[in-house]
Parts: sequence; structure tokens; C-alpha cells
Amino acid sequence: MQGRTTAVICALIPFLALTLGVALANHVEPRVLGLPFILAWISGWVLLTPACLWIAYRSTVR
Amino acid sequence: MNATITLWIVAVVVLATLALGLAGVRGVRMDPQEYIVGGRRIGAVLLWLLLAGEIYTTFTFLGAAGWAYGKGAQAYYILCYGTLAFVIAFFLTPAIHRIARDRKLLTGPDFFTERYASRPLGALVALLGFAMLVPYVTLQLSGIQILVRIAGFGKIDPLLAVGIAFLLIAVFTYLVGLRGTAWAAVAKDGLVLIGVVFAGIVLPSHFFGSPAGALDAVLHDPLHPNWLTIAGPTAPNGITWVISTTLLTACGFFMWPQSMAAVYSAKGEDTLRRNAIFLPFYQLMLLLVFFAGFAALEIHPGLKGPEADQSYMLVVQQYYPAWILGIITAAGVLAGLVPAAGQLLAAASIVGKNVLADYGIARGDAAQTLATRLLVLVVALLAFGFWALAHTTLVGLLLIGYNGITQLFPGVVLGVATRRPSALAVGAGIVAGLIVLIAFAILGIAQVDGINGGVVALAANVALLAIVAAVVPANRTAPAALPDA
Repeated sequence: MQGRTTAVICALIPFLALTLGVALANHVEPRVLGLPFILAWISGWVLLTPACLWIAYRSTVR
Repeated sequence: MNATITLWIVAVVVLATLALGLAGVRGVRMDPQEYIVGGRRIGAVLLWLLLAGEIYTTFTFLGAAGWAYGKGAQAYYILCYGTLAFVIAFFLTPAIHRIARDRKLLTGPDFFTERYASRPLGALVALLGFAMLVPYVTLQLSGIQILVRIAGFGKIDPLLAVGIAFLLIAVFTYLVGLRGTAWAAVAKDGLVLIGVVFAGIVLPSHFFGSPAGALDAVLHDPLHPNWLTIAGPTAPNGITWVISTTLLTACGFFMWPQSMAAVYSAKGEDTLRRNAIFLPFYQLMLLLVFFAGFAALEIHPGLKGPEADQSYMLVVQQYYPAWILGIITAAGVLAGLVPAAGQLLAAASIVGKNVLADYGIARGDAAQTLATRLLVLVVALLAFGFWALAHTTLVGLLLIGYNGITQLFPGVVLGVATRRPSALAVGAGIVAGLIVLIAFAILGIAQVDGINGGVVALAANVALLAIVAAVVPANRTAPAALPDA
């Protein structure tokens, strides 16, 4: 049961980051690697989402 | 001369890819299980490409760049929804797969027929899916038309070219089914990757020193202020729209019949989970497509409305040699044709199975496979007719389909549970959602207080589902009335 909770939390993080987080990160500055902050934020979460899902996977399967 | 070189390259690449698809199914005997869900033996790598096929369509190749070009930062929603769709998929698709395998389900609508013990509900879902797939296939056609017009330097008739391309893909789908389509996707994705890297990195570096340089140019362009940030909450297509559309389309992503078929075709639940973990990486290619769109805005400004879909392709046509244009066009044409094959197959199989076979019109395996194959040709003709009559932007077409198909989400999520509402409740919800969508379409309403109209339709759907479920108790006499197919 504890694994399930971890999995749900791991799933919620990208959801918040890519919905409410987008509203809060909607700026040009500070630039990250030349990208406007908002685009860097979204791209960053695209990269981090697999990590979140991997943790969810390890905590539920086996 | 240039047009000849480009079009030869396109023709050779497209034919070689289709040949790969044909080779992939050599010696495979076709029955409905094999034709529609690849015999449920599709392993991790092919499955990855099948699922990713949904991402790399003409829409991505041209439409996403067109949006970055024509509307700016609101295009970012595409990056968000694709990622969140896989988070949903991680939890939802293994359960769907398990049910599909245990109950021998073949099509997306079968899930409704089985879980809610109702053939009429399955038929309703099949007809909805069919109707929503026609604009999606049309989207691929519009994209191919744009590409061929640019690659042919206006010298060849796009109607003829699209007609040929489509005839080719209809015959291809007729022959190979799902497994062959997955094999064609291997070549397609490789080539699209090359095309996207060229358009998103090489091209902007050439003109602005680096992709970031192109973004700088957009930031300092007085004609496009605030182009790289999303507009405020009350603005049309502002942040409220971006968030609501992200959520809506993320829910809709796996509701497409071709996505459900891909889920069924997987070798196992774990294959699906691991695919969902890694598929978000694929989304990063969209970032390059945005770079291409933004760069085109500064190199070749002035395209209006649907013309924006041509953005960087026009730059490639003007500034690069014919063979480069040929390779990129070929990638784009495949990005239209290969997903179109999957969509044709899905549209044909759901009507063939859930209307014709389930109601006894096509009896037995041979009749059902034949009916599905013939329907592939019917859908191709319908989409071609729709394309010849109605011309809209690529994004417009995609959003029409997504708003409709997302109405299936409540039924699929509740269908995974052990306690399920009645078929009547699910069906009533779907119909309510569709009525709202049709009313909005007639009244020309796309957004309500900045929220995507599809969300309002989904809310109506869930509300009516809840009301009917409270009044009419669920029928617990499942297992369902699935006839032996």
C-alpha cells in the first residue's frame, strides 16, 4: 500500500509542474541555456517525468 | 530540374519504406487477431514505435511549427500534453491490456461492449471513433498536400499527388495490417528524426548562429512582442486555454482507437509500463520543431493563417539544395502516410468489428478480415472527399478530433474498476458531451472564459453520467454479450 502512495505522488508531481507550474513559470528571464525560462521549465519536466515514472515503477512492481 | 530531383527522392524513399512494411509481414497469415492487433505479440521496440507514431505525424512535422510561427508560445501545450499523456498511460494502459488479453478484445469499442455488457454502447463508441478519425486522416492529407506543393515548386498538381499517395497507403494498409504498419514506422521515425534535427538545429544555426539565436531574434522582433511567453488567463488561447487543453488532450491521447489497438498489441503489461516511462523523451523532438518554426518566422515572415503550416519548409525550399528538400519532404510525407495507415486500419476495424461483425452482418474470421480490408478503402475515400471539400488548418482539424474522442475517457477509466456504472449512464454521458460539442461548433464557440470548450463538454459528460448512474443502478450480470468473433 505504501508503494501505491509513492506512485501516486510521483505521478502528481509532473501534473502539477506542467499545469499550474506552467502558469507560474511563464517568464522569459532568467534564461536557461539560451531558452526562455518557460520553455526551459517545460523541457526540464519532460526530462524529469521519466524519472518520476521510474520511481513509481520501482515502488509498485516487485 | 529541382522539382524532378526532389520528387524522385520522395518517391524512392516512400516506396522503400512501404516495402519494409511489406517485408515485415512476409509469411504472416492474416486473421482478425493478427491483422488488427498484430497477434498480441508486439515487443517493446516495435511497440515504442507504434505508440510514438502518434507523436510524429504531419501535425508535429508541420502543424507544431506552424503554431510556433503563427501563434507563438501557446504551441508549448503540445509539449506538455504529450508528456502527461504518458503519465496517465503508465497507470491506465496495463489495466486495459490485462482486460483486453483476458477477454480477447480486438478493438477499442470492444472494451465498452465487454465492460458494460452492451453491444449498442460498443457500436456507439465505434461510430464516434470512426467520425473523429476522418478529420484526423484528412489532417495527414492536408499536410502531404502542403509538402508536395512546396517540393514540386508548384509544377505538379497536388490533388493528383495526394490522390496517388493515398491510393498507395490504402492498398498498403489493406495488405499489411498493424504489424506491417509498425515496421514502416521504423523507417519513418528514423527519417523524421533527421528532418527535425536539420530543421530545428542546422537551419537556425545557419541563420542565427544557434537555435537560441533564433529565439533571441524573435524576442527582439518588434512585430511579435511577448511571442515566447503564454498570454494572460483571460486572453484567447492564453494560459487558461493552455492548461485546460493540456489536460483535455492528455486524457484523450490513448482514447483513439489506434492507440487502444497499440495497447492491446503489446506483449505484456510490463512492456507498456516501461514504454510509458521512456516515451516522454521522444517529446523533446518537438522542441526542435518549435525552433524551426521560430526561425522561419524571422527568415520568411508574413505567412498568414493556414499558410503558417508551410513555415520552415519554405525556408528549406528557398535556401537549400534540392536533395535536402527531397529528404525532408520525404520524411514529412511518411509522417503523414504511416500514421494515416494506422488510422485507416483503426477506423475500418472498429466499424467492421463493432457494427458489422457484432450485429451479425459479417460472420466468421474470413468475412470479418475482408470487411475490415474493404472498409479501409471506404475510409480512405471518405477522408479524401472531406479533404477535397473542406480546407482548414492542421491544428483546427486535430482539435476537432481530440474534443470528440476525449468523451470516451470517463468510460475507459471507470471500465477498469471492478464496480462499474451502467452502460446507459456511460452512453448518456458520451451523447451529452457530443451534444455540447456540436452546439459549440454550430455557435462558433471554441472557448468559455478562456477554457477549452472540450473541457465543458467533458464536464457535461461526467455530470450526466453521474446523474444517470445514481438513478439507474448498474447491471451486474456481466460477462458480456460478446459474440464469438
